[in-house]
Amino acid sequence: MNILASYNWIKEYLDTNFSPEEFARKTTAIGNSIERIDKLSERFEKIVVGFVKEVKPHPNADKLKIAMTDIGKETVEIVCGGVNLSQGQRVVVGLPGAKVKWHGEGDLVELVKTKIRGVESHGMICAVEEIGFEKLPHGEHEIWDISELTDAKPGTSIVKALELDDVVFDIEVTSNRVDCMSIIGQAREGAAVTGEGLKGPKGPRGPRGRDKKFTIDVKEPELCPKYSVILIENVKVAPSPWWLQKRLLLAGHRPINNVVDITNYVLHEYGQPLHAFDADKLDGEKIIVRKAKKGEKMKALDGKDYEFSHDMLVIADAKKPVAIAGVMGGEETATTENTTRVLIESATFDPVSVRRTARALNLYSDSQLLFEKGLSTESTEPALARAIELIVELTGGNVASSMMTEQAKPYEPRVFPFDPQKAQTLMGIKMEEKKMVEILERLGFVVEPNHSIAVPYWRDHDIEASVDFIEEIARVYGYENFPSVFPAGEIQLIQEDQAIKFQRRTKEILKGAGFTEVYSYSFISEKQHTAYGLKKDDAVVLRNPLSSEFEFMRPSLVPSMLTAIEQNQHHFPEADLFEIAPVYLPKKGDLPDEPLNLIMACYGKDGRELFLRAKGALERLMRELGINDWSVERSRDPSDYIAHYHDGRLASIYIGKSCVGEIGQVSDRFVKIFGLDVTCVLIDIREPEFFLKCTSIKSFKPISQFPEVKRDLAFVLDERTEYETIIEKLEKTSTLLERIELFDVYRGKSVDEGKKSLAIHLSFRSNERTLESKEVDQEVEKIRYVLKEEFHAILRS
Amino acid sequence: MKHELENLKKDFEKILHDVKDRVALEEIKNEFLGRKGKLKALLKDVATLADEERKAIGKLANEVKNALEVAYGKKESELEWSHPGSHLADEWIDVTEPGKFPPEGHLHPVTQAIAEITDIFSRVGFTSVRAPEIDWDYYVFESLNMPKDHPARDDWETFFVDLPEEKKGKIVLTPHTSNSQVRVMETTKPPIRIININRCYRRQIDVTHLPMFHQFEGLMIDKKISVVHLKGMLDYFAKTFFGPNRHTRLRPHHFRFTEPSFEVDITCEVCGGNENGNCRLCKGGWHELGGAGMVHPNVIKAGGLDPEVYSGFAFGWGVERTLMMREGNKIDDIRVLYKNDLRFVRQF
Repeated sequence: MNILASYNWIKEYLDTNFSPEEFARKTTAIGNSIERIDKLSERFEKIVVGFVKEVKPHPNADKLKIAMTDIGKETVEIVCGGVNLSQGQRVVVGLPGAKVKWHGEGDLVELVKTKIRGVESHGMICAVEEIGFEKLPHGEHEIWDISELTDAKPGTSIVKALELDDVVFDIEVTSNRVDCMSIIGQAREGAAVTGEGLKGPKGPRGPRGRDKKFTIDVKEPELCPKYSVILIENVKVAPSPWWLQKRLLLAGHRPINNVVDITNYVLHEYGQPLHAFDADKLDGEKIIVRKAKKGEKMKALDGKDYEFSHDMLVIADAKKPVAIAGVMGGEETATTENTTRVLIESATFDPVSVRRTARALNLYSDSQLLFEKGLSTESTEPALARAIELIVELTGGNVASSMMTEQAKPYEPRVFPFDPQKAQTLMGIKMEEKKMVEILERLGFVVEPNHSIAVPYWRDHDIEASVDFIEEIARVYGYENFPSVFPAGEIQLIQEDQAIKFQRRTKEILKGAGFTEVYSYSFISEKQHTAYGLKKDDAVVLRNPLSSEFEFMRPSLVPSMLTAIEQNQHHFPEADLFEIAPVYLPKKGDLPDEPLNLIMACYGKDGRELFLRAKGALERLMRELGINDWSVERSRDPSDYIAHYHDGRLASIYIGKSCVGEIGQVSDRFVKIFGLDVTCVLIDIREPEFFLKCTSIKSFKPISQFPEVKRDLAFVLDERTEYETIIEKLEKTSTLLERIELFDVYRGKSVDEGKKSLAIHLSFRSNERTLESKEVDQEVEKIRYVLKEEFHAILRS
Repeated sequence: MKHELENLKKDFEKILHDVKDRVALEEIKNEFLGRKGKLKALLKDVATLADEERKAIGKLANEVKNALEVAYGKKESELEWSHPGSHLADEWIDVTEPGKFPPEGHLHPVTQAIAEITDIFSRVGFTSVRAPEIDWDYYVFESLNMPKDHPARDDWETFFVDLPEEKKGKIVLTPHTSNSQVRVMETTKPPIRIININRCYRRQIDVTHLPMFHQFEGLMIDKKISVVHLKGMLDYFAKTFFGPNRHTRLRPHHFRFTEPSFEVDITCEVCGGNENGNCRLCKGGWHELGGAGMVHPNVIKAGGLDPEVYSGFAFGWGVERTLMMREGNKIDDIRVLYKNDLRFVRQF
């Protein structure tokens, strides 16, 4: 969360002479990261007060006028379309070179002298939104009339005329430090890091008025540990003075009227939200803090109606809810220009309840943001006192009641033991106890004699244990002052996971084989899931998906791969892709299994060719991963897969006896469902068997000293005789046969339909002697015989 | 005769000395050593000489012949180095033609980043471990010192699996890799040095956020591990991965499972870390890299170790973010990473 903090405002509470940059550097180093420094004197450079001496019509445009404007040194013509432009006004003039937001939109634009509809304009008379004050109340197409804000001479810079010589920091505050979401919080941190003095804030003064009473009834002390109100009468609601409006504008708030502005001012200054009710609109002079009744409704300050559930906390009067506790007030009981009696609320609400209510209603506000981080019950009174001081001063009201408070239990500061030795050990540096104590005290901690430390109230949600003190000391001391030491020490042997080790190797091998890696989301849509023929029970389903696109955790890598191909097929009609990622398989009463799967896809035109390309890549992969006992077998029961794969081009991949996956051409049905214009062969391999079998150990077979003898054979046989069965038989036929290599497969002219012609190299070798030609001839003869007799082959050579 | 042979040798050597190219070399070879060359001509009449003399001359003639051949051979190899033969005329190829590419594959940039990160930490003794991506609330939140009502445990920020609660709570998609911390402590005795690189899930999607991303988590637990060691390890990583000229800083931050906690920043590669400049890329000279901190005593306790004895640090950074922060990387929209557009992946 961020806060916009005016440096001048901070300086009301901090005695410092640091330059804005130096202050920013120091507070960033202790954890309040200043993300942007906005120097108003630079932002408003060349923007000055102008005095409109005369308004003339524009010769070429009805809606435009020419303002003869005194800008100090001279009077210039400025073309202006402001509907409220009139003679005698003091206005804001952007001179050439000034940077403004054109019509309040987009980036800043540098003004140049320019002709508008044929008339030269020497600058621009600005509207509030053009200089970044769009939150100031204004009418449409109006320029900003500052006649009532200043009587500065024409030509005076507006920084001077409107007292804008300030610097605004945009500060990122971490979620545990809600106390820093305020000017005083920033001043406190500033004091700790600069070592300079903190001024105020003054403690609660408990203002007393006549004894008028509202009844407060807190029904839910757990959800509202403290509730305070005070009644003010004879209030005159009006716009706030400029100094107050200006502070709010620079803080990012919208000025509304003096009462509301004061509550926002105190919110920003003290970090404690307040709310102002019109006391006359509250029924029964009564405030009840209770849970909403189911179905109860209220129109909030944002103008929208909200319906509550019974677990939401509301502020109610005798009859109806008047505010959503900690989130937003109701419109009906809000202060208006007719309000004269105001009831100011300062309370503490349970952070979780506020958060859940806001999320459930989808309603957020500055107050809710702070409440949901956790505020101290001790901060309600100082803020209320400050608000009363301002209301009395600015609205003419008078305090009509004493401060009425309901508190669940008395406040007690949190106290934790502190061990300076442990602090040194965890920080890794030497530091005297005195120094540590000094830092803690500068941050408002109270060090007690027995090494216990009491936490200041504004940190009571954030400091939870002794170890938290160490961070306080270390960050104020400054991490840039810590040395950087590379840790020595023993390194333990931890066995690396097989899948981690070999998935990387697998990726490198596939890259080398020309495959491109894709990364898909782990989520798939129900549509993708069911399109792939999976049932809802097959998947891990999210209870709160971001959208229906991301509802299922994929139990297979296939659907996302097919989607990836569909997205790329037009730029790349042919490609080889792969992905290695976990899939998620539900398990009853336990965490899902997350096996790491490998999917490879070869897509293009010719299914037969793609199948062989995919299988070749698989062979290369298996060989490189040291897996020898693998095989591919036509699936025994293709009907299991028939929806997914082409039944004539499908096989199971085995390592040893276990089936680790499939290789197959995607079925026509899926080609259509997934919108593919290409043919695709997939290899889908599953953990754990696959990665468990990988090894980097490769064994060596002695190289024979005797030469090999080569023979070639070509033969025609039935198309459906599988190569592997032939090879297995031939290997058994001849003990001297060392290797068989297929070098040609031919179908077509001169080979009958339903037949194929195979050509193989045969290598014979003995490890004991040089083979004689005659001997080899005999072996070949045996092989020819087997081919003829067992496979009904016709030998061509 | 003897005299003539010696002259022949001298002549040969003299002419050979001035030979500048192979053509001239071949010419003098033919002139002296050829079938119709000077040496043959001179020895034509040897046969008619008396035995004694014939033997002597024959021996000398052989010596001269050898000498000429050696000199010739020497000159030949000299010329080969200084005047190599030319095939310009007959074996010219167009060297500017595109080469024949072996099939080209590509690893996704996230894989490449993960490999580099793994290697950098493996060099200093960190082992990669595996942890579930879908895990019990206990490992993801409860054991990491995150109270029951912490916002991260709400439906708005974290994905929950549509399954009933069990002993270790609800089943969630891990929003960070820190679920490995207690899991590793439960099974491994210190000293512990591990990294866990995994997918993470959060309920957000925009220019800089994806509902799925990768984190790498480092965990070191030992006796007397302190903030200065965390600083040392982060400097080692940053300088190795990003280059020796980049610097890091620790900025106090807040995480439930570390205390103290930090945001780690690195100097901007464009402005070089100019804090007062107006760099278009960074915030005041620095980029946020990711979170880190000293493991919270409650987490160490949850891991079954004694926080009075052991301490440690942990860091968990987005892989994509770290990758994008690297000089010259030029990926400016995180969403391009998981679109599977080959025109993108094939640039890596």
